[in-house]
Amino acid sequence: MKHPYIFGIRHLSPAGAWHLLKFLEEKKPKLVLIEGPTDFNDQIKYLTYKSTEPPVALLAYTKEAPVRTILYPLAEYSPEYQAIVWCKTNKVECLFCDLPSDVFLAMPAGRKTVAQGEEETITVYERLDRYLGEDGHDTFWERTLEHTLNTGEYHEAANLFGENLRSCSEGSEADWEEILLRESYMRREIAKAVTRGIDPENIVVVTGAYHVKGLSDPAGHVMTEEERWQLPREEIQYTMMPYSYYKLSIQSGYGAGNRAPAYYGMLWEALKREDISYAAQCYMTKLAEYYRMEGNMTSAADVIEAVRLAGTLARMRGGRYPALRDLRDAAITCIGRGDAASIRNVMMVTEIENKLGGMPKGVSRTSIQDDFYRQLKELQLEKYYQGKVKKLQLDLRENISAEKEENAFLDLHRSNFLHQLNVLDIPFGRKELLVQEDGTWSEQWNLEWMPEMEIKLVESALRGDTVRMAAAFLLRKQAEKATEAGKLAGILERAFECGISEAVEEITKRLQALAVEAVSMKELTETAHRLSAIIRYGTVRRLDAEPLKPLLRQIFYRFCLLLPENSNSKKTASVISDMELLDRIVEANDCLEDGLWLQTVKGLVTGTDVNAKIAGFALALLLEHGIIGKEELSLEIGRRLSPGVSVDSGAGWFEGFSMKNHAVLIAKMEVWSSLDDYIIRLDEDEFKRALVVLRRAFSGYSADEKMDIAENLRILWGLDSRQVSELTDAANCSTQELSPEDQQFLEDLLRFEFEE
Amino acid sequence: MNEQMLRLPAEQLFQKEIDALIAAEKAPIPTGWKMSPRSVKTYICGGYVNGMEIIPKYIGQERLVEIAIATLVTDRALLLLGEPGTAKSWLSEHLAAAINGDSTKVIQGTAGTTEEQIRYSWNYAMLIAKGPSEEALVKSPIFHAMEMGTLARVEEISRCASEVQDALISILSEKRIFVPELGMEVPAQKGFSVIATANTRDKGVNEMSAALKRRFNVVVLPTPGTLEEEMYIVKTRVEQLAADSGWNAELPDTDAVEKVCTIFRELRSGETCDRSQKIKPSEGVLSAAEAISLLCNSMALAGSFGTGKVSDYELASSLQGAIIKEEKRNVFVWNEYLENVMKKRGKEWSGLYQACKELL
Repeated sequence: MKHPYIFGIRHLSPAGAWHLLKFLEEKKPKLVLIEGPTDFNDQIKYLTYKSTEPPVALLAYTKEAPVRTILYPLAEYSPEYQAIVWCKTNKVECLFCDLPSDVFLAMPAGRKTVAQGEEETITVYERLDRYLGEDGHDTFWERTLEHTLNTGEYHEAANLFGENLRSCSEGSEADWEEILLRESYMRREIAKAVTRGIDPENIVVVTGAYHVKGLSDPAGHVMTEEERWQLPREEIQYTMMPYSYYKLSIQSGYGAGNRAPAYYGMLWEALKREDISYAAQCYMTKLAEYYRMEGNMTSAADVIEAVRLAGTLARMRGGRYPALRDLRDAAITCIGRGDAASIRNVMMVTEIENKLGGMPKGVSRTSIQDDFYRQLKELQLEKYYQGKVKKLQLDLRENISAEKEENAFLDLHRSNFLHQLNVLDIPFGRKELLVQEDGTWSEQWNLEWMPEMEIKLVESALRGDTVRMAAAFLLRKQAEKATEAGKLAGILERAFECGISEAVEEITKRLQALAVEAVSMKELTETAHRLSAIIRYGTVRRLDAEPLKPLLRQIFYRFCLLLPENSNSKKTASVISDMELLDRIVEANDCLEDGLWLQTVKGLVTGTDVNAKIAGFALALLLEHGIIGKEELSLEIGRRLSPGVSVDSGAGWFEGFSMKNHAVLIAKMEVWSSLDDYIIRLDEDEFKRALVVLRRAFSGYSADEKMDIAENLRILWGLDSRQVSELTDAANCSTQELSPEDQQFLEDLLRFEFEE
Repeated sequence: MNEQMLRLPAEQLFQKEIDALIAAEKAPIPTGWKMSPRSVKTYICGGYVNGMEIIPKYIGQERLVEIAIATLVTDRALLLLGEPGTAKSWLSEHLAAAINGDSTKVIQGTAGTTEEQIRYSWNYAMLIAKGPSEEALVKSPIFHAMEMGTLARVEEISRCASEVQDALISILSEKRIFVPELGMEVPAQKGFSVIATANTRDKGVNEMSAALKRRFNVVVLPTPGTLEEEMYIVKTRVEQLAADSGWNAELPDTDAVEKVCTIFRELRSGETCDRSQKIKPSEGVLSAAEAISLLCNSMALAGSFGTGKVSDYELASSLQGAIIKEEKRNVFVWNEYLENVMKKRGKEWSGLYQACKELL
């Protein structure tokens, strides 16, 4: 009996593509069957359009939530893609022959990416790698199979590999049933072609090397029509989308991607030139070029040495040409001078390159678009989908009167959705600021749809298949780039607002890392403030803020350690505002030990190397917390305002001290008598300086409080109350009535230069 | 073999292994080498040859050893970089022993190393008596290595003055040495190369010139990869050192070794071993070698002034000394580590935590 020819390949393998082309050229078949879902047969034609530029991906996804997707990425060097292009140019029929994707998606495992049955045999791969001392399966494959220009040799090796792999694991794979099912389906497709009258010898089947043995088995089961009808199916949609090398490189798993798409592109180029060593030269030259662009010195001699070393490393392993692993190690040694960290970035750029695929217009309707419209309907937001601004008031709390569960949290879901869109830079909804102080359960949105948002949505398709996934991806990216803890905490807050709990964990970890590095008080306070806000209001968004508490504690501890160091800083205003904010945070969060905080503050009160204003403010804080004794207080006031203390220390201290607890201070007569004593002893020049500081200190007091102070002073100076009220009334009137001298004096004061 | 020698060179210590590897050699051998690159790797990373066990000399990433050997195959000079205590000299000695069966052509780089020690100098008595002649020439180890086509080693190259380092440039690029006094030039035989070692902590002492660096392939030796690996290295070495020390103390138990190694690793890498928490890294050198000396120090403390058993108290005082050194900044680092990491570790660590806290 005659058999079709079964060509075993590895997905995304340049050598596979090259040998396949040579084989097709020689064999000139009438039909090429490719391992790919049959329901994509209508889409094959798009792949050969002029405006189609790989990498592209075929995508199928379920219509119902939860959305599940299945993705078939194709690069220029994919054997499947090259076969399709060859068929088009040679006017040969080309069809997919694997199970339709609607069956795949209906299968219980709920597979997310292409899994070609080999994923489960990971232990076999691991054993092989360990035996050979290689760093991964890609290296093994490259060394053994990517570097040969002899098609016969390639065939034999690929088939042998597939066969051995199969015999190692046959029957033990978790998805063995599925593999058998797929193979019987493929046999059915082949049989169908034969019944159409195509000579089996004129058929070439392109499939993973693993399936060669299964498909060649003459006794293999062919799926019957009845069995086919019994296959489970799921309602799905198809699309094709432009893909990118970057996406290819981050997909893990066999067939779904590879680590170094750009390098494989070079290998493809090398094969086309029939000169494998071209790949190594190209890689090293490009890498050196990128490295130079980063401002490093790399000579041509270094590049030559790197290529030589890579060759020697390959020979030590018994290879003819260097594999990517050898190239990397040689580049680190010769170009990076042994410093892997300095060259890693450039290596990534060389191996991935920012290549984007392209699709003809109108072909793609991406899954993220579908997801958007689906959510619009679910969240009852369709009436807002128009070019006019409409207001929407949200109450994030549980709607107790709602009958269905999804309705109980409708507003929360709406808020999450709108926040997610904002993260994607799609301002469908604009949140009005501060409806409630510190934002809790109520939100006010203005919704308006504009056509350009659709484009943004399509652009986001590469970030994820749903709005939520894309937003999560982007937040993660932003978090990776953030170098300041404060900014990162902001991103964390946004992740909370979006309700993306899985990103929260990752960002928290990174935030923890950054917080350790943070040295500026400002940054720490900002971070603590945001964390505190999330912890306090996280519950309304039904997210667990518990994991953030240790982090807040850590930052708090660090702040306490840093505060004494910064307490003689000249930026008193910012230190004081940080202290004030932190004080509020400590009060609001039970998880922080206020004992440590008060102890730190206490240290500032009596510390020797502490800026006077800060020391004053610290005392005010203690007073506010009511943990400073009466005697201690008088002692401290007396010490700070004793005669002979310089203006900056005395008046400055008072400025800090008087920032809080106005009522308490006004009631304390001794404060005013000490201050009075102090001022009287200042000479003219000192008095002028002190006046500026004190005026600033009292500017924070209300008119009534000022009156009370005046009353204090009246008693102190033993004046007649009527005389005083005349004076104070005049002072409370506008400055227009000031005499020219007073005016001049005031202007001088305005021009007064502080050393601050 | 001389039994009285305090320390035998590697090729004599492991003579049997080298002989066995040479006897079993089947792969092609590069010119001037005694065995194939693969056998050199077996010698260094361990394995079996004809049923005989080859003890691993270097515990760590085998790939680095491969790169080092491949570098020497391509007749490039090799520079081993690393923190103190990462087995640079050890690896360099064994590479020379396996490749040439001779690890003794070595120049120790110090602030006092002169250019003559790199190239050649004269037997002045003979020079004055007979005038310049080949007999009056005192050849440096590198000179010898060039003539014989073998490896020469330069230890701690960054401790040499720049002009001394630069004497290597012409040797490495021209691969020949000129003796103008005799009107003679000596070309290097095939197989000649140089293995240099340098300490990353010494950066800036005598920074290597770009011209010289360019002539080396650089391999950076890392600190031990896993906690288990580091514990193994520390434990075996402490045992060896304690064997004839007379410290009157028991060996520290696994628990103590684990604690010290954990603290060192965490402060070195700037994150906890389970990678869950980032911490501020210490600026001091915290190598495996340092951990070894810390444990020895604790043993000596316990033996001389304590109960003879290494307790948390001895560990704490040695730890503080090793970590803080004279850097003020490290006090901050250590304090933060104690509060944020060690305090939360639970019961097994609380004793050590208390002891450390008391000392601060």
